[in-house]
Amino acid sequence: MSYAAANELRGYAQGELDLLAVLECVISRQPRVLKNGLPNLAFFRACNDALSQPDVEAEGVAYSQVEFWLALARQIGLVHEVDSRLEPDDSADEFFDAPLMERRTRLREAWLNARDFNEFSVTPTLELPGMRKGRTVDVGSDIPGPGTLIDARRAIVEIVTTLGQETTLAALVRRVRDTLPNLFINHDDDKSWRNVYYRGIRERGAREDCERNGNWETVEGAVIALICELPLSRLGWVDYDPRGQLLRQASDEPEATAFEVVVQPNFEVVALGDRPDAATLWKLARFTTPQPEGRVRKYLLERAPFAAALGRGAGASGLTDFLAGLSRSPLPQNVQFSLKDWGALSERIKIWPDALFIEAEGVDDLAKLLPARLVETLSPEVLPGGHRVCVAPDAATLRGVLPPRRVPLDYARRLPPVIEPGEGASLRAPREELHLRARQLLELLSTSRGTDIYQLDADAVKRSAAAIGPDELLRRIREGLSRPLSATVALALRTWSGEFSPPIADAAELLIADNPEQADLLEELTELRGWIERKLARGVFLLRPGGSERVREALKRLGLGVAERKKK
Amino acid sequence: MKFHLHVGVVQCEDADTLEQVLASANCAGRVLARPAPNVAVLETEDAARLVEALNERGLHPKVLK
Repeated sequence: MSYAAANELRGYAQGELDLLAVLECVISRQPRVLKNGLPNLAFFRACNDALSQPDVEAEGVAYSQVEFWLALARQIGLVHEVDSRLEPDDSADEFFDAPLMERRTRLREAWLNARDFNEFSVTPTLELPGMRKGRTVDVGSDIPGPGTLIDARRAIVEIVTTLGQETTLAALVRRVRDTLPNLFINHDDDKSWRNVYYRGIRERGAREDCERNGNWETVEGAVIALICELPLSRLGWVDYDPRGQLLRQASDEPEATAFEVVVQPNFEVVALGDRPDAATLWKLARFTTPQPEGRVRKYLLERAPFAAALGRGAGASGLTDFLAGLSRSPLPQNVQFSLKDWGALSERIKIWPDALFIEAEGVDDLAKLLPARLVETLSPEVLPGGHRVCVAPDAATLRGVLPPRRVPLDYARRLPPVIEPGEGASLRAPREELHLRARQLLELLSTSRGTDIYQLDADAVKRSAAAIGPDELLRRIREGLSRPLSATVALALRTWSGEFSPPIADAAELLIADNPEQADLLEELTELRGWIERKLARGVFLLRPGGSERVREALKRLGLGVAERKKK
Repeated sequence: MKFHLHVGVVQCEDADTLEQVLASANCAGRVLARPAPNVAVLETEDAARLVEALNERGLHPKVLK
């Protein structure tokens, strides 16, 4: 293999390892995505430290490589956002399963079509006052937009692929300037007083925008240099030597990988060798906690990522065998035991957080009824009782595999109220329309009294109100019933649930004073106050049992009389 | 046969484990259905809370997404 070929393929392989380093940082940090759509600075620093040749922050625009790889990873869906956090996507597994050349083609296409990556913004020698924080371009500036950049990238690649065996960067820049001077920015009207400056583009540290006259190499040339150093070199089009500023044509011969891992008894897995295979390391990173920041690639075997890998469909023994296959010596016994143990423990509790649950209600053998294409597409797992469960498919997939005239009950939406209040304290709920929320409500409120008929149960309501709170219970009742409750049933339910205190129906003893001022004076008497249970209105007092006799005596002692009510 | 879409499903080795698991995230009173002694159906947000609670306790269940 020639030097150029070896170096070029190492360039691409190294580039892919840099992408892997960024993805490993995503796994280990799950960074929060800020309002501008980018992860926080700490994440960028960690990724930069993990690269083969980190950017130096002091040299200018920092982290251009991280921004580049992150843009590509997002472009081809290797990462996605979950609850404002960046996480690896399952499609990253498919990406790394593909052959090296296919991966390279996908990354190249991703860069050529990238709309979220602007080479101007990461060119170290340039400063862009015309670019806002969210990477949007000011309309009045000369910074090219995504469409122009996409065309320019393709044009540069076309020129580079027609270059001789070896050329200098200066020669390439000259050629682009002579053949495509308007590649990034239109210079046709440079003599106009309006186009004296590159609007919104200046040299790093300068106070004013660059003048257009004589600065094509300073602006466009610098961007072309960055394109040579980053995408063209790291995606395997050219072998670029930044010191000598030399470009060599690349070869398509794949380079053999050479590395091995050492699994240590402290659960650390260390990858050794100068030509590691990114695809293999990705598989390792998916069931371990990668520690990409150091110079040596390390992976920590832990229960959480191991269980997560099992959840994605991997088998415990398969992962153990994979690890053993990479290791030059047998796995330490404690590691073997732990992996086996973790696998067994995870199998004890299985959770589908967002599932399609196929209920075998009234069906003896669900297997006979399920369409073959549903089983083939969704591969549902059999649960005790003959039910089936699988990860919730998207709506289109589910529509394509459901049996005719079957409509799924979608719990992401509000389900129709199917419980109907009947006579007295009875409820009617047809079995074929019952969904799980309605069934849960019936269990909270009632007991079954035959096919489709339920009876409200005071004890059940009291228990449920105590468990979930009367307000929540009443909310569920209002949502679950097809029409409002009768006054009788509503009163009963709200009283049972504890919302209403029981009303009093009793022979009441009252103290009544017609004159309001007389009533206020009576209320102030200490002899009477102890016998008043509740003031019903001004001048009307409910007395405690036996209170009327005591009040009479007290008033007599004060020399006051008490009026007798006329008896019929 | 009914198709319940976007629900959380928990399956444990046995009914006792399921009770403990549900209790760990205060989900016992919020179970939609118990189609089998060791299986519970929950709302998706309750299932997510359950996963979080179990992970916090170092139990790390098998989460199928």
